[in-house]
Amino acid sequence: MAEKGGQIVPESVLKKQKRAEEWALAKKQEVATLKEKKSANRKLIYNRAKDYAKEYAAQERELIQLKREARLKGGFYVNPEAKLLFIIRIRGINAMHPTTKKILQLLRLRQIFNGVFLKVNKATVNMLHRVEPYVTFGYPNLKSVKELIYKRGFGKVNKQRIALTDNSIIEQTLGKHGIICIEDLIHEILTVGPHFKEANNFLWPFQLSAPLGGLQRKRNHYVEGGDAGNREDYINELIRRMN
Amino acid sequence: MSAAAARPLVTVQSLESDMATDGAAANSVPLPDVMRAAIRPDIVTFVHGQISKNARQPYAVSNRAGHQTSAESWGTGRAVSRIPRVAGGGTHRAGQGAFGNMCRGGRMFAPTKIWRRWHRQVNVTQKRHAVVSAIAASAVPSLVLARGHKIEEVPELPLVVSDAAEAVEKTSAALKVLKQIGAHPDAEKAKDSQAIRAGKGKARNRRYVSRKGPLVVYGNEGAKLVKAFRNIPGVEIAHVSRLNLLKLAPGGHLGRFVIWTKYAFEKLDSIYGTFDKVSEKKNGYVLPRAKMINADLARIINSDEVQSVVKPIKKEVKKAPLKKNPLKNLNVMLKLNPYAKAAKRMALLAEAQRVKAKQDKLDKKRKPITKIITYFCCLSMHLRFWVYLYFIGSLLLVSQSRASLMQPGWKLPCPVYLSHSVICLLQEEASAINSASKSWYKTMISDSDYTEFENFTKWLGASQ
Repeated sequence: MAEKGGQIVPESVLKKQKRAEEWALAKKQEVATLKEKKSANRKLIYNRAKDYAKEYAAQERELIQLKREARLKGGFYVNPEAKLLFIIRIRGINAMHPTTKKILQLLRLRQIFNGVFLKVNKATVNMLHRVEPYVTFGYPNLKSVKELIYKRGFGKVNKQRIALTDNSIIEQTLGKHGIICIEDLIHEILTVGPHFKEANNFLWPFQLSAPLGGLQRKRNHYVEGGDAGNREDYINELIRRMN
Repeated sequence: MSAAAARPLVTVQSLESDMATDGAAANSVPLPDVMRAAIRPDIVTFVHGQISKNARQPYAVSNRAGHQTSAESWGTGRAVSRIPRVAGGGTHRAGQGAFGNMCRGGRMFAPTKIWRRWHRQVNVTQKRHAVVSAIAASAVPSLVLARGHKIEEVPELPLVVSDAAEAVEKTSAALKVLKQIGAHPDAEKAKDSQAIRAGKGKARNRRYVSRKGPLVVYGNEGAKLVKAFRNIPGVEIAHVSRLNLLKLAPGGHLGRFVIWTKYAFEKLDSIYGTFDKVSEKKNGYVLPRAKMINADLARIINSDEVQSVVKPIKKEVKKAPLKKNPLKNLNVMLKLNPYAKAAKRMALLAEAQRVKAKQDKLDKKRKPITKIITYFCCLSMHLRFWVYLYFIGSLLLVSQSRASLMQPGWKLPCPVYLSHSVICLLQEEASAINSASKSWYKTMISDSDYTEFENFTKWLGASQ
């Protein structure tokens, strides 16, 4: 038992003090290393975001240029078919055929006005065909993707719906695919990249508001003046009203 | 657990009488293993509850009670209920309801029977474990105090008294013994607490109640101390080999104050055995093992073995921050995307530039030629003519090199010389009008369908 200015300090207390000091030191070191890593990361994120901005601008200008070129030569420029879709469920859950119910579950559209991104391929297109009366979908543009992910982006972390308030949340889950910040995520979604599946699955289905200004007619297809089915680029306008 | 030598020693309290002959200091006896057995209040409560049912006498109501009438129901149609009614007449009893539990003078619901199961069977081992627990509890001062015994003046628990106590014959001597060993306050407490029972029991041969005092346990059969101690209120006696749970844990509560004689105390080991040795007197009985050998949780937790591998305490629990919209809140946006600030700044600048450029372009196209006209109006008729000539001339020369226009000394065939500034003004206006007309010509061409004329001809198949 050590003597401390006349008082006897029990050994257990001394041991605990020493251990607490060790822990404090270890923690400080850990914090310092984390801070360094974070600042290095920040630079990287900044540069990536800059590159992406350039890339998007370049893409836009390229499209315009190709169109002008074609027009000049007297021909037409046809846009390549979209790779990315955004689907919104517009019908409720009652009185549904079990197969379509299952397909909507597989698409993660379990609630009305839920939205998900989707890659376009034969499989998904056929699935969409089956559930057409219950959803509306189209090709989102950069602004749509950005706004959706910034405003209503939530990630699936440990099976929980966690808000994307920090890049560390994204890095934690998608770091191994090279996606470390929200801009990376947006880029991966927009240009359906090699890890689209993981990135998209990480995003919890978007819970959108009912559209300001209303829908036209849920029960009809878009081409009939209603809302269901493929509305191609006009999905962006709907997203503006629902986000 | 440990060898006999490692067992703690209990000092035997000496009485005045014979210890003088020994001449030695107080003897000491090793603590028997019974006192270190696991204390199991759950077993004790259960066993005590069961055992205390075994001394019950059956009670029941009379077999025939309520049925000693020949009552029969009057049936319906007589404006009375259908309960069986006493037959006959001439007395109050006639026509009264009978038999039912609801009737006055009727038999009770479910008349109590004597063949109710009054007694309970308990496994022998369980009974033994209960007694062992109770004995162990009697060695713990806090439990004994909690049970309510006055042991403040008792020198040691378990309290062992020399064998001289077994030879005590007179009650007065017994009281003296109790006083010597500090057990008198407990006995006194019992005496003071004698009171008439509350409730019907007082009329049922259970008139008085009092607290329990010490339990004196002796080892020799036929010891005189039984007769000496038995009349002291509160004090009870028991032989070691016949310890009763109902006395060791009265009311199912552990911690009776027990006074052992030395002989009895030494016998405990053979009666109950040790943790390793089987009991001699109870066939095949071994003391019960505790669930945890070391039940001191605080000590275990604070031990080196545990503390050395324990992780640091998490004092700050991270709470999820409220999500703020990055599209509206700039700081949150910057947290997510540090490039956003630069992008926004560039966008703003570009917008400002675009606006300015457009405005300039429009201004150029729409600017009216007001200066010359006002000046023109101030001149006299004569001068106006020459200025007009000069003006037209400069217009005609605009397609040629600008250099010629820069010469203010282009002379008029007129004696009037226009001032330098006027000439410059005229030249500026001229160039402005020229450029305006040029751009107008261009838009005229592009707005027309002339550019698509080639396509048109292709459709027609006509050649130009």
